[in-house]
Amino acid sequence: MINRFLSFEWKQFSRSSYFKKGIAIKIVMAFAVLYFGGMALLLGVGLYFILKKAMPEIDPMTTVNNYVLYWFLFDFMLRYFMQQLPVMNVKPLMSIPVKRNTIIYYLLGKTTLSFFNILPLIIVVPFSTVLLVQGYPVIQVVAWLISFVAITLSLNFINFLVNKNNLVFYTVLVLVATFGALEHFAIFKISEPAGYAFNYLYNTPYLVILPIVILVGLFYATFKYIKKGFYLDDAISKKVKEVSGSDLSWLNRFGAVAPFLKNDIKLIVRNARPRQVMMMSFMFLFYGLIFYTQETYRDMPAILAFASMFITGGFLMTFGQHVPSWDSEYYKLLMSQNIPYKTYLESKWYLMVAAVLLSFILSTPYIYFGWDIFGMIAAGAVFNIGLNSYLTLFGGALNRVPVELNVKAKAFSNTNGFNPTQLLIGLPKFLLPMLIFYVPYKLISFNAGLIALALVGVLGIVLKPYIFKLIEGVYQKGKYKTIAAFSEKQ
Amino acid sequence: MIKTVNLTKVYNEVSVLHIESIDIPKGQSFGLVGNNGAGKTTYFSLLLDLIQPSSGYIENNGILVHESEDWKPFTSSFIDESFLIGYLTAEEYFYFIGDLRHQSKADVDALLAQFEDFFNGEILKQKKYLRDLSKGNQKKAGIVAALIGNPEVIILDEPFANLDPTTQIRLKQIIKDLAQTKGVTVLISSHDLMHVTDVCERIVVLEKGEVVKDLETSPATLKELEAHFSGEKIV
Repeated sequence: MINRFLSFEWKQFSRSSYFKKGIAIKIVMAFAVLYFGGMALLLGVGLYFILKKAMPEIDPMTTVNNYVLYWFLFDFMLRYFMQQLPVMNVKPLMSIPVKRNTIIYYLLGKTTLSFFNILPLIIVVPFSTVLLVQGYPVIQVVAWLISFVAITLSLNFINFLVNKNNLVFYTVLVLVATFGALEHFAIFKISEPAGYAFNYLYNTPYLVILPIVILVGLFYATFKYIKKGFYLDDAISKKVKEVSGSDLSWLNRFGAVAPFLKNDIKLIVRNARPRQVMMMSFMFLFYGLIFYTQETYRDMPAILAFASMFITGGFLMTFGQHVPSWDSEYYKLLMSQNIPYKTYLESKWYLMVAAVLLSFILSTPYIYFGWDIFGMIAAGAVFNIGLNSYLTLFGGALNRVPVELNVKAKAFSNTNGFNPTQLLIGLPKFLLPMLIFYVPYKLISFNAGLIALALVGVLGIVLKPYIFKLIEGVYQKGKYKTIAAFSEKQ
Repeated sequence: MIKTVNLTKVYNEVSVLHIESIDIPKGQSFGLVGNNGAGKTTYFSLLLDLIQPSSGYIENNGILVHESEDWKPFTSSFIDESFLIGYLTAEEYFYFIGDLRHQSKADVDALLAQFEDFFNGEILKQKKYLRDLSKGNQKKAGIVAALIGNPEVIILDEPFANLDPTTQIRLKQIIKDLAQTKGVTVLISSHDLMHVTDVCERIVVLEKGEVVKDLETSPATLKELEAHFSGEKIV
């Protein structure tokens, strides 16, 4: 039976839609995989030497053990957001005579082969190899490696268990934030006891039994959990929540656009995928912290312009790139109803503009880094409204991948919004602002760069009716193709 | 009201629809029957400009469907679940359609009140999203939504499928009323010969994309249709 399952799996993989997408996307995907794999591998090989160089007085192994906790937490969060559990695929198997246990073992086995479990291996195995070559004790290194893998897999199963439980997730989030802050301000260093524990684990190899026991325990807990829920009306079929209609009539002041705006807000609030995108776009607000805090970027304002663009543009880019895919599930309705394309697109535009403005307001704490930086964010916001919003809508017209609204995105297993056209359309969004800023900055002054950015944005806002006509034309032209693509079952 | 002229649809060099001419006058209830793959849904999709004709055209009230969008204000339809917005409750969905068709909330409420029987207490005030309703109830919501805003042309694909017997009977009454008393042109397709003959004044049989029969409904129609479809199977 397992063989049969494996062959299904292979078919699902090799017949999935992104393999039919032509050679270009395959190359891009291959590059992405090679790139991430390569980076991980390089990190794995280089980690020892990097740490040795950075902190010559401390044993790199100790450093790794001190901070490995953060890696696990990061890993866990990433999983929570991105890793999709293969529960749904089981539905057709439930009514045929296959032993439940077989299916469950298979399912659990399958989750262990996830990208999230393989990536750490690509880092840790070379790292351990380097350790061995450097003459570290074999038993200790091997035991450590096994512990690491066991903990990674444990996270895999924990994720399985808590996936439906927001409470657990937010608890973890708050814990990480708290300990991160405490650590940063040197009040209480959680990494010390944790580091001690991991070092102890490393120094006493027979303790490897501990993570293994935990792993086995979690495996059986998950097994039981799935077995208990192995009925259509439990985990697999959706839970029907009671809902109350929300009154959004205050939006009526937007006139013809109002019905769509109301719909879009409900779309975001009530569906898993848009909610996920929303969270992601919130993260973009912190993008500046990476760049503004580092001295190296201080003298590279073009890079800072790039970062500033992201702070206010998170929602615009993550949500906007899936217009009109968000409405793919009922696109036929929209196309046969009494709707001009223009109002439909305008509603999305207003939404993106509102998000940029909101992000801009939320970004005021960046004043801490100086008015120059804040001016840059402001100019970036204007540019986002006046140009990037159009580019995003324009790119959306060429993006005909249907989106399943109430299903979370999987990492690396769907290519929603990831295609060469999207990539090409995406490039100007980052490169243009850098260029528009850099030329006047180099020739005249910093402020001239900002003004240039803002001016381009204002120009875009002024030309809106004209630009919208262009975008509408593109949408109109692709109408039949889009309908056809959206009605294809995934 | 609806004129179809030399309409063809070709996919990968295979012709899936070829209709030389169908003329549907205003206020007619028009039924389309045919086996799977006969081209019923293709025809309706062409009517709604969801796909492009390979040649020929459809005129809806004098408007070329694939060239102008002006037929949209007086035409409404329910083809399949992709005409529903899954994350809305039934009421929200009705009001949304109402907004699009310039109907006030009160207008929509008044219309919905007429369908209380039809809904059978399973649609309104359910506090459920449309995606969580059963197939049959989704269909009920979709069909009623297609009646919002006094459309002159209503297109329903397989309206009877998935409905319970009581609802089927009620729906038949609704469709008859629309055509006879309100002068609405109703186009439906169905696999159920009995229902179509009950409801439609005219029945067209499609086979492999071509019109093979075009009947005025009479007491003999059902027999004729049954003979046609069973004959096909045996020969």
